[in-house]
Amino acid sequence: MTHLTADHFLLLSAALFIVGMVGVLTRRNVLVIFMCVELMLNAVNVSFIGFAWEQNSMVGQTFALFVVAVAAAEAVVGLGIIMALSRRVDTVDIDQVRELRE
Amino acid sequence: MSAEVVVFDILSVIAVLAAIGVVLARNPVHSAASLVVTFVNLAAIYVMLRADFLAVVQVIVYTGAILVLVLFVIMLVHQEDLPEFHGGRPVQRAAGFILGLILLGEVAAAVLTRSASVPSGPWTPAAVQSAGGNVQALGQVLYSGYVLPIQATALVLLVATVGALVLARPDLPRLRSARRETSTISLGHPRGTDVEPQPTALPAVSASQVKPETGERELVMAKSGDEFVDHPVWGERREP
Repeated sequence: MTHLTADHFLLLSAALFIVGMVGVLTRRNVLVIFMCVELMLNAVNVSFIGFAWEQNSMVGQTFALFVVAVAAAEAVVGLGIIMALSRRVDTVDIDQVRELRE
Repeated sequence: MSAEVVVFDILSVIAVLAAIGVVLARNPVHSAASLVVTFVNLAAIYVMLRADFLAVVQVIVYTGAILVLVLFVIMLVHQEDLPEFHGGRPVQRAAGFILGLILLGEVAAAVLTRSASVPSGPWTPAAVQSAGGNVQALGQVLYSGYVLPIQATALVLLVATVGALVLARPDLPRLRSARRETSTISLGHPRGTDVEPQPTALPAVSASQVKPETGERELVMAKSGDEFVDHPVWGERREP
């Protein structure tokens, strides 16, 4: 690996995605889980742009742009849900939010 | 090792360490700060990948907009000291880490054994240069083949804005007052004690007692507080 190849970017993307996934699985604070989801979306973007760089294509960058737009919409709705949730049950602990289960 | 690889290694190591910091930090504000570090490093990596426009978008949208929004919400919601991660739930934590390591090994194996022969697309660096740069090339691709997805994205953003307004709106006062019910306070409830059961039918409200509606609810004039409740307070007997 003396030259920069797409493998570098794919490994970085995998590492970031898995760090985000472990965060989603192990944390209890809703806000931290939300940030880990953002981290996973960014990892996917790294993959897209790495492939686009390797194949001299623009389609990967286009897809990454759409991912950013959808992530912005997701952030707005997710933070709105967190606000409504904290107003309703006054907690950000994901383990205490079980109204649908009971 | 070429200089590119060294720069990439530094950037990616910082990005991954900051991402680990997002997961491990106790305080959500520290998580957000680590996330900023990760995003800025990723923007630099995008520049290395000849994606200039996306690097700018990354900085503006993620670190500029989304993280400011996250910080606002962190300061608005009530944070209590969660027994996070550093104590409790060891099974779930261990399962998460082991699953993560297994998945990382799998993906690394898949990446390192993939066939490297890929067809080259039309957008070589020379073609991008002749189109006028990364932004122009991206615009050409975006507005020739992806017009409908762009409009769908606009619709998605509009719906998300309306949804956020609906979710973040406080309760209307009309709904809140309708949920309130008539209640009475009694220190000793007469039912079940030596007092005979009281008549459960409430006396009707005569028309002279009702004042015309002033606010949202009607006003009923009463001589005492328990004239219209089920059971009077302790010690008083209602004459039948």
